[in-house]
Amino acid sequence: MSKATLREERAAKAAAQLAAQKRAERKRTFIAIGGVVLAMAIIIGGGVWLGQRGGGSDPVDKSGVPAIGKTKYGLTIGKPSAPHKVIIYEDFLCPICGAFEAEGHEKLAKLADEGKVYIDYRPFQLRTDWTYSRQALNAFAVVRKTAGDEVAKKFHDLLYANQPNEAGPFPPVSSLVTLAVQAGAEKSKVEKDILDTESQASYVDGATKQAEDDAGVQGTPTILLDGTAYQKGSGPADWADNLVKDLS
Amino acid sequence: MGIDADADVQPSAPAGQGMAVGRRRTSTKAGVLAWIALLARLLTGGVWVWAGLAKLTNPYASAQAVRAYQILPWQVADVVGHVLPSVEVVIGLALVLGVLTRGAGVVSALLFGAFIIGISSVWARGILIDCGCFGGGGTDPDAASKYPWEIARDAGLLVLSVYVVWLGGGRLALDRLLFGHLRSSDES
Repeated sequence: MSKATLREERAAKAAAQLAAQKRAERKRTFIAIGGVVLAMAIIIGGGVWLGQRGGGSDPVDKSGVPAIGKTKYGLTIGKPSAPHKVIIYEDFLCPICGAFEAEGHEKLAKLADEGKVYIDYRPFQLRTDWTYSRQALNAFAVVRKTAGDEVAKKFHDLLYANQPNEAGPFPPVSSLVTLAVQAGAEKSKVEKDILDTESQASYVDGATKQAEDDAGVQGTPTILLDGTAYQKGSGPADWADNLVKDLS
Repeated sequence: MGIDADADVQPSAPAGQGMAVGRRRTSTKAGVLAWIALLARLLTGGVWVWAGLAKLTNPYASAQAVRAYQILPWQVADVVGHVLPSVEVVIGLALVLGVLTRGAGVVSALLFGAFIIGISSVWARGILIDCGCFGGGGTDPDAASKYPWEIARDAGLLVLSVYVVWLGGGRLALDRLLFGHLRSSDES
């Protein structure tokens, strides 16, 4: 063997060694990065899971929540003697409330009729910039005052059935009069006060203050089943279904 | 490994500078930059961990806070509200410890950018909400006076995140333990 071939061989060996070393390093890096990313994913998943389990996820200050049927602003259905009590804080524009109501309102009303649950609906204006929400709650107060709670509950259901998108476009205030009449209110008695969207300002502001300041409700719907925040499932329709199931 | 190997400075790493004086001066500067990187990591990472933990235990309020921006459809906002706190904690830990530092820095910078856009957007639309950055959320009548400061804070943290992306982990980053072999082979 000549010196030259020996040198070449040595060089080739060295190159092969280097390549193998590089491959091994690349593998190590890949495993290290993969391991770290996997650990991150596990922590994120665990965090979400912990949150879902609702460890301390109480959205309201219970000491501040007035007892069921005891507020000026709550509309109750069912009998106070029912085995379960449900309080629902909601807003007429909040889309999640809309989804919850669409899925649950008929079944909950039926359960209340059957004496299985006593429900207290406490609508308020969740956001100061939600004009429609304020108009609807104002109209709700007018209907309650002039036509009573039964008609007001129907009006409440109609409001959700005809709920506008939270980003608009919003229906004219006169459409609230149409819905009130459809619910069973007398047009001549409600029209003026519904069109005057601030006619029940003290009711609207009072209900909102009671929900936000006293009960500490931060979002809607806030559902309390026998005094405990209830949010079982992955979305409003799910909450409604599970609530109905748990009450049946 | 060279003198400045511990600094982990790539952009200004002097490749093949023969003069000892020049090399030492560069490495002092690199050392300072590396310490600043550590500081940037601890600051941004600390804020993330704090913000994430504050929201982690109450995903309900967190989802409400995201929804209050009225940018995402509520279904999406709910998912974001549930996942974001954990993501914040993980990104924060990655920055504090210096694990996958540059990647964490990129995510951190993107998130701060998104928050700046979100806050500017509600400000421009006249929506008055608590930013929900450290828990809370919902309406806040004094919000307009807080928005500029919140945007400034996020912009500052965005700059620090970009700095970390540019420079890497700097001092005391776990990345060196995990991926140290890469550097030694690069420089040998």
